[in-house]
Amino acid sequence: MKRLYFLLLFVSFSSLAQNQIALNDLSAFDSPTKNWTIEGRAKGNISDSLLQISMGNGILVNTLRQGKYHREDDLKFKLNHGDIHFKIDFMLPKGANSGLYLQGRYELQLFDSYGKKSVKYNDCGGIYERWDEKRGKGNEGYEGSAPRVNASKAPGLWQHLEVEFQAPRFNANGVKTQSAIFKKVILNGVVVQENVIVSGLTRGSLFDKEAAFGPLMIQGDHGQIAFKNIWYETYDLPSVQLGKVRFQVYEGKFPDYQVGNAKVVQSGDLDKITQKAIDLRSDFLTKFDEDIEVPATDTYQFKTNWTGSGQLFVDGQLLNKGASWYTQSIYESIKLEKGTHHLQLVYAKDFPWGPKSLGLSIKRVGAHWVDVHERTSLPDPEAVGMIELKAESEPVFQRSFTFHKGIKKTHVISVGDPSGIHYSYNLKQGALLQVWKGKFLNVTQMWENRGEPQTSEPMGVVLDMDGKFPLVVDHQNQLDSLEAKDLVYKGYRIQHGRPIFKYDWKSTGLQIEDYILPNAEGTGLLRKIKIVGASPTKSNVQLIVSNATDFAELNSNMQSANSNEYNVKWEKGTAEILKLGNHQFQLRLPLLGEEFNYQIIW
Amino acid sequence: MKKSLYILACLLSFSLLAQKKNVPQESDFYEIKTLPIPKEIYLEIGGIATLPDGKLAVSTRRGEIWILENPYQLENHQVSYHKFASGMHEILGLAYQDGVFYCSQRGELTKVSDVNRDGVADLYEPVYQFELSGNYHEYTYGPVFDKNGDMWVSLNLAWVGFGEGKFSKWRGWFVKITKDGKLEPFAGGLRSPAGYSFNADGDLFYGENQGDWVGSGRVTQLSKGDFAGNPGGLKWAKEPNSPFKLTLEEIPDNGNPMYMAAEKVKNLKLPAVWFPHAIMGISTSDILQDTTGGKFSPFPGQYFVADQGQSKVMRMGLEKVNGVYQGFCINYREGFQSGILRERFGLDGSMFVGMTSRGWGSTGKDEYGLQRLVWNGKNPFEIKDIKVQKGGFVLSFTQPLNEASVNKLKSYALRSYIYKYQHQYGSPIIELKNLPIKSIRISDDKKQISMELDGMRRYFIHELKFPGLQSASGDNLLHETAYYTVNEFPSNDIAVNTWKSIAMEEEKAKKNDVVLEKPKQDKKTTGLISESVAQELLKKHTCVACHAKDKRIVGPAFEEIAKRKYTDQQILKLVYKPNPANWPDYATEMAPMSHVPAGDVLKIAKWINSLGNRKELENRD
Repeated sequence: MKRLYFLLLFVSFSSLAQNQIALNDLSAFDSPTKNWTIEGRAKGNISDSLLQISMGNGILVNTLRQGKYHREDDLKFKLNHGDIHFKIDFMLPKGANSGLYLQGRYELQLFDSYGKKSVKYNDCGGIYERWDEKRGKGNEGYEGSAPRVNASKAPGLWQHLEVEFQAPRFNANGVKTQSAIFKKVILNGVVVQENVIVSGLTRGSLFDKEAAFGPLMIQGDHGQIAFKNIWYETYDLPSVQLGKVRFQVYEGKFPDYQVGNAKVVQSGDLDKITQKAIDLRSDFLTKFDEDIEVPATDTYQFKTNWTGSGQLFVDGQLLNKGASWYTQSIYESIKLEKGTHHLQLVYAKDFPWGPKSLGLSIKRVGAHWVDVHERTSLPDPEAVGMIELKAESEPVFQRSFTFHKGIKKTHVISVGDPSGIHYSYNLKQGALLQVWKGKFLNVTQMWENRGEPQTSEPMGVVLDMDGKFPLVVDHQNQLDSLEAKDLVYKGYRIQHGRPIFKYDWKSTGLQIEDYILPNAEGTGLLRKIKIVGASPTKSNVQLIVSNATDFAELNSNMQSANSNEYNVKWEKGTAEILKLGNHQFQLRLPLLGEEFNYQIIW
Repeated sequence: MKKSLYILACLLSFSLLAQKKNVPQESDFYEIKTLPIPKEIYLEIGGIATLPDGKLAVSTRRGEIWILENPYQLENHQVSYHKFASGMHEILGLAYQDGVFYCSQRGELTKVSDVNRDGVADLYEPVYQFELSGNYHEYTYGPVFDKNGDMWVSLNLAWVGFGEGKFSKWRGWFVKITKDGKLEPFAGGLRSPAGYSFNADGDLFYGENQGDWVGSGRVTQLSKGDFAGNPGGLKWAKEPNSPFKLTLEEIPDNGNPMYMAAEKVKNLKLPAVWFPHAIMGISTSDILQDTTGGKFSPFPGQYFVADQGQSKVMRMGLEKVNGVYQGFCINYREGFQSGILRERFGLDGSMFVGMTSRGWGSTGKDEYGLQRLVWNGKNPFEIKDIKVQKGGFVLSFTQPLNEASVNKLKSYALRSYIYKYQHQYGSPIIELKNLPIKSIRISDDKKQISMELDGMRRYFIHELKFPGLQSASGDNLLHETAYYTVNEFPSNDIAVNTWKSIAMEEEKAKKNDVVLEKPKQDKKTTGLISESVAQELLKKHTCVACHAKDKRIVGPAFEEIAKRKYTDQQILKLVYKPNPANWPDYATEMAPMSHVPAGDVLKIAKWINSLGNRKELENRD
């Protein structure tokens, strides 16, 4: 009877285990003060210490309405969580300070650390210190963990945070057996913390004791802040229970998985599935059979990894099959009723190279992955040290292949700057591919071994650009790409260590010089496109500053693009914003004089 | 007492003799000088250009051009490095002309200039942009300038389990590019054309790497419209400016030798010289004709062919018979520090050797390196030249021969063979036949011999080994084996009838040799051979070129092979027909070694497997 009660409880949890919090009202929060409101839009310039708020819904804002903050202005979620994975977008005005308290106890710092050269535990993405008066004055704080790098974006732009947190564990007597762990903190796409153990409470904790559960809390007493897109998953539901494993090995090559009359050369029982049980190195087919206990009717996701080929059957139904390499995970989902279910995993390897590898894991929403395989059944990945190209004392440029929107571009140059502001550029199209801040370039995939991918990757907070040639004439549509015989690449000359790209634009009779460098403030990139030559079309040249899902005006020569993902700012001319489709806008500028001049700020 | 005295005397005289007669080594004549490289520089050399002011420029796979001062290490051993240019994409060729550099990046032939003359490049201009698919194996090599000032570039095939050129234009081709960027396709059929050059007569030669459609490494002279054998790039023969028309369907893929295919495919160009795989390298790279007028080597006019995988420089002698280039190759100098990609002559006639082995592997254990090959002027005892006759060869030597060694049959081991032409990777040696000697003559100055042989075969590799030939001063040949590729027989032989005819020594000696060569043994009861015997066998069959006992070279260490626990018979099978898939982490596939006698392979196999057992014994508590 008691058991049934628990089950019912869990079922009611299930829908809440994975949730996007709808910010239409404040119902997700526990007694919010008046400072917290639901609004439609927030925006702000880099130098603004207050955000501009417009009415509507979808975002959560803490505004300075009562003039002074109090402890009760901290915002508690109704969600009481243990282990949790959450994603959240936040926007800070200049100088703002807030924090996210996991379980109301362990603070992850949110702070306007924009532009800081070095960062500490109290910067954005830092794990704030524990506190102990007994350590003596000035030494009370300890065990803070600085973010690996400063991955902050500018005030007034939406920033993205993703956190995986493991709650502390307690034994039956309530004694802590394992401290809480920030498994992973990703700020604006950059991993800033990984598997950091926190031994106790942050000073501003809601509680004076650690516990298995607690409410998520946002610190609301230090300045304005906005949030949106709050998503989370908790892991408190029971998942599958594993049974005993029986296995049978057949020797030979079985390309269609049919063992026919082949004899079983090895068989036995195992606690868990493992390829290590197979004596043969290759040329075998092994069947693993196992009954699992499913705790509740729900959708279950199955992940398999193998080197060779395999099949996974659930209750005789084929869930996935095929040839693969162990580093590749294949996911399939199936709805299972509560009760006992039969798994059959078939693993065949008919080539001798590569290590035998076999993995099977099961996931239920609201529960952690359960490994059906023995840990050692999957080999460790190769230990390849990273090769980092640094731009420390002077600008650095490097050609490579680069993926852009999933396509490998082959004539790409990446330019790094000691100021920490970098970009990649497609030489064939005279086009920006990506811009980023932080460290410069990971070239491991190019300079390790043969470098089969031959790609480089940015190391920092990346903005994807549209990758298109930015000029048009006579109000024409922008082309996805220009032909090499129209846009003739003429190379680059180096000025103050930075390249200036040159093109002959045949169809217009114009020459172009494209110069991209960090802006004076260090907040982004300045791009100067000089139009050289006399041609009747010259007066009709337009610059496409940006293609975005939307624009929000910050002032007459500055717009925020893609829902405040980045800002663009230009020197002269009146912008024309074209609506190309749903969530497709284009910002154009006319040529005044000889040169376009605009900035991308993030 | 008397007897022991006698023995002592013998020992004394023997040891005296041994002291007097040091066996000459390559290093006694051809010295390798190493240029030190600062630790923070990854000088993975893809190109070298000698500068007229005594400096040296090298380009790297990391995209830089370095200018080295004091590369000849005249008074000071240290070399000074200055970064001239950077940021380019795997520069595998460098040339210097009229004060500017030209180099090949993966996707571009680039002109690099220092306009403001501050010693750092400030202008990077494309001479030509190459298409790329994004496949890493589309390497671009060059440029090499011709006499007209045009640039030559070779374009590697992509690798998709086989060589494929269809993804990007002119892959698998030699192209000529003018300084103003006009491209002219010249010849096709290339697979991995890492090294090439023009000889003094302006003819183009390139080195090819063993692989699909390439049974063994080789050097081929290419004329316009030639098809060098790998059909991966034939898609582009359909282009209007292609110098020939040919399709894959027209290429026979039956495993017959290449010369048979050439009877059907008219522009299929046969190699000038085959470099037998694993013996004369595994990955032929640069070629340079000695035009130093006697400064670089005792062999002016001959060619020096580098090998990336075996870290050595080989010598190639060519002659033109009926208008066709052919000739021989022979070892010259091994033991370089890394995999050789580039050779360029310095101002003093020495040769700079630029190296990299990253991802490709090489016998030289360093990741990269820069060395100089210098002849010290001493005269080695070497085969100087080989000319083909209608029924044999005329060989010349650098020193007079000891006539007593010329008349011994055991001084000669002669045979011929060829490789398959097929889409499979590499080839075993096929159609192996011994070449019996009919007669030998020696010239008056004793520096030449003519050999009349039975069964000379056109298009075959003639392996000419002289294990017993000695110089008048009693030295053995520094390199005893040459490999002559016969494409043509001359219509007129060199007149040798006035030369002295040598009466060959008794059959008895030959029989003894045969017994020595092949001792009777029962394969089933082959005992475990000692370490030293094993090493001797491994050396004899050139296994050591790619394998070592306990470290990875080009191929896996023998100890690693032992861990696989193959049976001796399985190893034999794999030696004869390697399965590269067994070793996916190794870049270079093993060549079939089916010409090695089974008895020897089994001995080696047993020894390899004993390494595993020993480890187990050592690990036992």
